[in-house]
Amino acid sequence: MVTNDLIGKNPLGAFKVDSKGNEVAQRMGLVMARAGVGKTAILVQIALDNMLRGQQVLHVSIDQNIEKTKTWYDDILRDISSASEPESYASLQYEVMRNRMIMTFNESTFSRPKLEERLNDLIYQDIFRPSCIVIDGFDFANADRQTIEDMQELQKEANLNIWFSAVSPRSGQEEMSKEGIPAPCNEIADLFDTVILLQAESNGQSKIFLNIVKDETGCVEPGKSLRLDPTSLLVWGSTF
Amino acid sequence: MKRDLLKVRNIGISAHIDSGKTTLTERILFYTDKIHAIHEVRGKDGVGATMDSMELEKERGITIQSAATYSNWDDHDINIIDTPGHVDFTIEVERALRVLDGAVLILCSVGGVQSQSITVNRQMTRYKVPRIVFVNKCDRTGANPYRVAGQVRDKLKLNAIFLQIPIGLEGDLEGVVDLVKMKAIYFEGENGEIVREDEIPAHLIDEATEKREEMLDAASMFSDELMETILEEGEPSEEMIMKAVRTGTLALELVPVFIGSAYKNKGVQALLDAVVAYLPAPENIENTALDLENNEEELVLGNDPEAPMVSLAFKLEDGRYGQLTYIRTYQGTMTKGDTIINSRTGKKVKVGRLVRMHSNEMEEIDVAGPGDIVALFGVDCASGDTFTSNDISYSMSSMHVPNPVISLSIVPVDNKAQGNMSKALNRFTKEDPTFQTFVDHETNETIVSGMGELHLEVYIERMKREYDAEVKVGAPQVAYRETITKQAEFNFTHKKQTGGSGQFGRVGGYMEPLEEGEYEFVDKIVGGVIPREFIGSCDKGFKASLVKGSLAGFPVTGVRCLINDGAAHSVDSSDVAFQMASKGAFKEGYKKAGPVLIEPIMKVAVESPSEFQGAVMGSLNQRRGMIIGTFEEADYTVVESEVPLAEMFGYSTILRSLTQGKAEFTMEFAAYRHVPKSVAEEVMAEAKKKREEKK
Repeated sequence: MVTNDLIGKNPLGAFKVDSKGNEVAQRMGLVMARAGVGKTAILVQIALDNMLRGQQVLHVSIDQNIEKTKTWYDDILRDISSASEPESYASLQYEVMRNRMIMTFNESTFSRPKLEERLNDLIYQDIFRPSCIVIDGFDFANADRQTIEDMQELQKEANLNIWFSAVSPRSGQEEMSKEGIPAPCNEIADLFDTVILLQAESNGQSKIFLNIVKDETGCVEPGKSLRLDPTSLLVWGSTF
Repeated sequence: MKRDLLKVRNIGISAHIDSGKTTLTERILFYTDKIHAIHEVRGKDGVGATMDSMELEKERGITIQSAATYSNWDDHDINIIDTPGHVDFTIEVERALRVLDGAVLILCSVGGVQSQSITVNRQMTRYKVPRIVFVNKCDRTGANPYRVAGQVRDKLKLNAIFLQIPIGLEGDLEGVVDLVKMKAIYFEGENGEIVREDEIPAHLIDEATEKREEMLDAASMFSDELMETILEEGEPSEEMIMKAVRTGTLALELVPVFIGSAYKNKGVQALLDAVVAYLPAPENIENTALDLENNEEELVLGNDPEAPMVSLAFKLEDGRYGQLTYIRTYQGTMTKGDTIINSRTGKKVKVGRLVRMHSNEMEEIDVAGPGDIVALFGVDCASGDTFTSNDISYSMSSMHVPNPVISLSIVPVDNKAQGNMSKALNRFTKEDPTFQTFVDHETNETIVSGMGELHLEVYIERMKREYDAEVKVGAPQVAYRETITKQAEFNFTHKKQTGGSGQFGRVGGYMEPLEEGEYEFVDKIVGGVIPREFIGSCDKGFKASLVKGSLAGFPVTGVRCLINDGAAHSVDSSDVAFQMASKGAFKEGYKKAGPVLIEPIMKVAVESPSEFQGAVMGSLNQRRGMIIGTFEEADYTVVESEVPLAEMFGYSTILRSLTQGKAEFTMEFAAYRHVPKSVAEEVMAEAKKKREEKK
């Protein structure tokens, strides 16, 4: 089966099950990197892992349009399915589309009550029941602790995995939390169960590493890392 | 005297429904002295806008057919095509874009970039039409041209730059600041006909300076001279800036944004100046044709009035004086009394009356040259036909025509209606390639098919009004198809021995799903096991099998048939025998190839105030819709979804009642997809019942 094969090759699937073999139903996750290093690509790969397993994912894009978000999925899906049968791409794309819903907001209109209202619209009418939400483009630099606590509360109430992306500044002089989580999330690091840091090293040839800085769900040991393909930004085929 | 082609502009005006296209065109005609009074679209004066010449358009307040019109501004000839805003009439928009050199994309300053604008923009990109944006309705509450320009960049992916900023907004809209001249422009007098230039109001100087710098930055990418002047901190001249903006616009890399309110008579003359300054003349655009005598080789048409004539019929209208054919001339000259050739039919046509159209009034002319858009009287042709001089045989490249997705049966109420209906259908199908008609020989009913419910409704209404052909309309039918899901082999022998010469043919191979396209035939026969002369017969046999699938009697699509084995008999094999063998082979393979029903899926975008988003999503979900995404914009939310066409009948009524009439939706064909099993069973049972009734 093409789908099973693809699930098997995605190392981010490690976040589905803890070391005791129990499925992790709740998580506040964070993917941090400097701009342009591959945060969205990692969120999409986390989302795809869920979708290929038949679970529904809500992709919230802040200040990005639906078309652009769809393109991320189409491109990554094309890359990961290129090795399998050519006709599998169309059916995979359809499967993914069925399990994905994209919501886009302007920075100014995004809030917990708004997201909750939209989520309830979907759940109560039995339109869509996500088990995972990825939130791309949230502005942590201008968000206070209360806002993230509100999101955490929603995550717990709705029994969800929520993965955020956050931009870390370029300076390298930023403040860090004790686990090594940079600003602007250093002071709210305790609100996240899992934190992934993408770090680019460019010493002649560019290399991007995905480092697990924190994971309190017992899925992946902190300190472990993966290498991203710098062109496709894929982690497909590698293992922790 | 040689006409200066640089002083000709062929422009289209395209936009989302209700963005004010017709009002803007009306104002243009007024300011260019082509009409002497302004009428509103849904005019209180009961006259209606001049461009909406069809009665039905006036009544519905929408523009159904493009009306071509000619005007003159600043010593430039401007041909304007007013195009419809509803997706169902997209073919009209596409045709207009095919013959135009540039376009004005109108956006509502409140609604911004709406779904139809996205479709229209995509069409403009397909036909490489340079465009400028006019942010209309800046007098409305909630007007925000800056947000709209942001959407142009974000949603339409266009490099939008302001060439004007508004002086006041909403009820306070007074005029605009021209960022090239750095002057305020006011539109005064009863109908805004007096254009007054003044100094920029003090409170806008900073903003104007900032926006001018942004504009210069973008424009300098297209002019070394401008870039150098800016780098040397010099003051660029108006000509230098305008030249750079024009270069960027023609290269499709820059989209200048203008501001105003056509309804309040503000900004229209400045927009006309921009049409002249930034949109291309026919000489700036490369047009190609296919040389039919030289293996359809593509060749570039010049704009030489002395060259052999090439023109394209892009629109037909039945007016008071018979058939009116709108044509665009690309090269050469067409003179009254000339004999020209319709390159599709090869028929000679005499140029009788030649007119320049102003909506439903006309001006007689003797000659039409390159770049002209004119109309011919009494010429029998179809829309999309190419006319040339006697000495060449060119055809303009074919236009993209989508397949119809919906059909319904029509039955004339009496004998008189029967005759009139035929006349009407004959005309409409010539005018609009997406409107098709045929007679179902099993039921003897006339079936019409098109791009959506509204599309068909309008034609039925027109039949009644223009041709006095009243018809009874059947329930809309979705164009279901059958297809296969897996590869399956066949090996079929057709053998008949009933006295006289027999029939023999064996066809072996396999069929498999075809990703793109309807049908493909592959010949892999080696060693002549099927003689060459019968390979075509096999193809014919397969093609005949596609007409009616064995699952529910719908046409079969998406099948590749490959033959790699077979046998023939020196006496008994024939064309008929191999056609029969292939039909048998198809039947045999089809059963094993997992045949399924597929149905047209429409891309549906519903725009509504955010408080109705839940209800809208629920209504789409109930219709087997798959919600792709939602985006929120101010107080509005757009829900994008894919919904089977079969579930969309009557949706406008449902949506109205769900949202207190505050929502609107657009719908266009997206793809054919499998019908879910439970629904497929119903459709098949229905099809079976119909077949039995016919027996």
